[in-house]
Amino acid sequence: MHRLFWIVCFVAALTAGMDAQAPQNPALAGAAPPAAPIPDTNPFSSPADIEQGGALFQTHCSYCHGSFGEGGRGADLTAGVYKRGGRDPQLYASIRNGIPGSEMAPVRITDEEVWKVVGFVKRLGSQGLLEKAPGDSTAGRLVYQKMGCASCHRIEKDGGNLGPELTEIGRRRGLKFLTESIVKPEADVEIAYRAVQVLLKSGQTVSGIRLNRDDLSIQVRDARDNLRSILMDNVQEIRYDKPSLMPAYTALNQKDLGDVIAYLNSLKGAQ
Amino acid sequence: MRSSRAGGWIVTAVLVTAASWTLSGQGLPVTYERLLKADQEPGNWLMYSNTYAGWRFSRLNQITTQNVKNLRVKWLFQGRHIEKFETTPLVVDGIMYLTRPENAIYAVDALTGRQMWTYEHRNPERTFNCCGRVNRGLAILGTTLFMNTLDMHVVAVDAKSGRELWKTEIFDHTAAGGYAAPGAPLIVKDKLIVGMAGGERGVSGFLDAYDPKTGQRLWRFNTIPQPGDPNFGTWAGDSWKTGGATTWNTGSYDPDTNTLFWGTSNPWPDYNDDMRAGDNLYSCSVLALDPDTGKLKWHYQFTPHDLHDWDSTQNPVLIDTVFLGQTRKVLAWPNRNGFFYLVDRTNGKFLSAKAFVKQTWNDGFDFENNGRPQVVPGNDPTPEGNDKVWPGIDGGANWMSHSYSPLTKLLYVFAREERRVFTKNEIQHLTTDPNVAPTPAQLYNRGRGPRFAPEESWGKAIAIDPGTGTIKWEFRVVSPPWGGLMSTAGNLVFGGTLEGVVFALNATTGERLWTFASNGPVYGTAISYLADGKQFVSIPAGDVIVTFGLE
Repeated sequence: MHRLFWIVCFVAALTAGMDAQAPQNPALAGAAPPAAPIPDTNPFSSPADIEQGGALFQTHCSYCHGSFGEGGRGADLTAGVYKRGGRDPQLYASIRNGIPGSEMAPVRITDEEVWKVVGFVKRLGSQGLLEKAPGDSTAGRLVYQKMGCASCHRIEKDGGNLGPELTEIGRRRGLKFLTESIVKPEADVEIAYRAVQVLLKSGQTVSGIRLNRDDLSIQVRDARDNLRSILMDNVQEIRYDKPSLMPAYTALNQKDLGDVIAYLNSLKGAQ
Repeated sequence: MRSSRAGGWIVTAVLVTAASWTLSGQGLPVTYERLLKADQEPGNWLMYSNTYAGWRFSRLNQITTQNVKNLRVKWLFQGRHIEKFETTPLVVDGIMYLTRPENAIYAVDALTGRQMWTYEHRNPERTFNCCGRVNRGLAILGTTLFMNTLDMHVVAVDAKSGRELWKTEIFDHTAAGGYAAPGAPLIVKDKLIVGMAGGERGVSGFLDAYDPKTGQRLWRFNTIPQPGDPNFGTWAGDSWKTGGATTWNTGSYDPDTNTLFWGTSNPWPDYNDDMRAGDNLYSCSVLALDPDTGKLKWHYQFTPHDLHDWDSTQNPVLIDTVFLGQTRKVLAWPNRNGFFYLVDRTNGKFLSAKAFVKQTWNDGFDFENNGRPQVVPGNDPTPEGNDKVWPGIDGGANWMSHSYSPLTKLLYVFAREERRVFTKNEIQHLTTDPNVAPTPAQLYNRGRGPRFAPEESWGKAIAIDPGTGTIKWEFRVVSPPWGGLMSTAGNLVFGGTLEGVVFALNATTGERLWTFASNGPVYGTAISYLADGKQFVSIPAGDVIVTFGLE
């Protein structure tokens, strides 16, 4: 019987060994293949390189990321937010190796062409770097405070969670987008900040940001920043008719509007 | 003390295995005769769609509309990878054979989920699959399992040991823009039928047959006619050389007429037809082939000159149904283009088509011309992005399995309702000189497509009366699904949503009877089998295979 015990242990150890080996494929573990170190900055980022990167993007990326980088099957690249890092070598690695666990495969182009695509992708998500707002950013900061923007928006560590973070908004978004977001915020609302009204069978209504939803329940960040989860069994109706929680600041005078845009345009973040 | 307990486990295991053999079947080998009569072994799941007719229907009836509320998770198989499972496991007499996305095979005890052996095919660092590293499953003949790989090989593995028997390269996976083989192969008689993918990468499609014993290729059917073939010339210029028309899902087989049915993918480039005027045969078609020779008997093209990536790679469903008062042998085909088709499977004659999702592109079918669609102008992709087209890029149906129940005589389809933006890209042919850059495209100055809100697209499980195309019931879910449906003799329909809600519906009414929140996206379709004489239901959810049984 002792012998049998050892056989069982041996088989168990073998099986454990197989398990341990399974995720060692470097592409699956997310590790980069052994190669020359990736430079810290993009060696191919001239305007001509970026233009060529745009053409390569059309051929190799637009199928999933959309012709304008607006996203689709792949991520929206115009928002300038990158889950796997937005530094040049991080973007390079994502394109060169693909993203394990996602549908993004390695792109079949040369290393030099990858850098050109990196340049183009950064351009897509850095519209604010191309523009300088004419207003007074110091005055704009006061307008920002006076209007109470921080109750919903966060800059670095300060502010609320009901609206998108603005720490790098001056890099990520151009002036047209910033202006529109203030005077007509419902025009383009990120999916993660869609306003929702949940009418309960009890007669109550929960309003807030839609965080998640399946066929059994819906998760909401309510207007007081509480995380709420509601079973669909208790829901009468879900309304999406007002897409944004943000009021339209149409009453703002032109100077204040220009100044607050200049303030937002000055927020370039760490990159 | 510990040693005697170990001995006890082994005795129990032997008894359990013996019991499951007695109750559910004959063990290995799985002969072709058994595959032909797979519906008579409801305890097993012997091929991708369960039977050659492509029904994905289980004759097991222990789990019923009455007791399904008592269904509980019995075991999980943890993929321990970060890809999603899209596999359909096979089950042979208590042993489940499943594939991990990156081409590993696991043999596990179907009662407990415990692993017995593994086989791992090592893919190169770069593979050229369109939509993630995925594998959709295996075929079995005798005592051998067969798997296609992402780097375009087909491998034969001993089902008892996991030992590799042979490995054949299907095609150079780095050719053109890159080839891959993610689908499950199909055994027909003494041949292994193997499809391939790459329709987004300027490849040239084909369907192959191999000798299951040796791995030697027996025939290849080019899905794009070559010079001298009938229907050559349906592609302008040289566009036929890289026109796609791949065969990335699994077909069905009709032994009565000895016909192999296999669907083909889109023509390439998907949204830009400047260089490929013509019908682009045999893209977006069903091929009826002689499996002995690989010769084409007939074809029907669902979407001539496709511009929307509406692949016709759905699993063919073969049924006999009453159509206009006559019983007909048909292909029942809910297509990615949003229409449900009936095609006479003995001769390829178009019988009818009816939309099962919202659609904007079609104004009817020309019966004089074997059901050629009458295309509505204004639906083509545009450089600015055409956002008025329904269904979307991923279609009204996609690769996910449909299911037909001979008890309700209904066809179950997990359909997608959505519109998407179709943009005509300035695509350069991948095989042209790589040094010639496409025309300058400062696309970031051109504006953007609309962002669709969560409520603007949804999914629905529907029951279609195949003879009339009438939708008998509809069960709506939050998002367009990526999982298929399985129906059972317990009068149930099983499926799972993109958010991971696994559900059972009443097959007659569509009423939801049971749910489980797996919280892993379901990209695949359920199977059902017996282990230890009890009925189980397995479904992939995220990187886990979840197996349910009655309490």
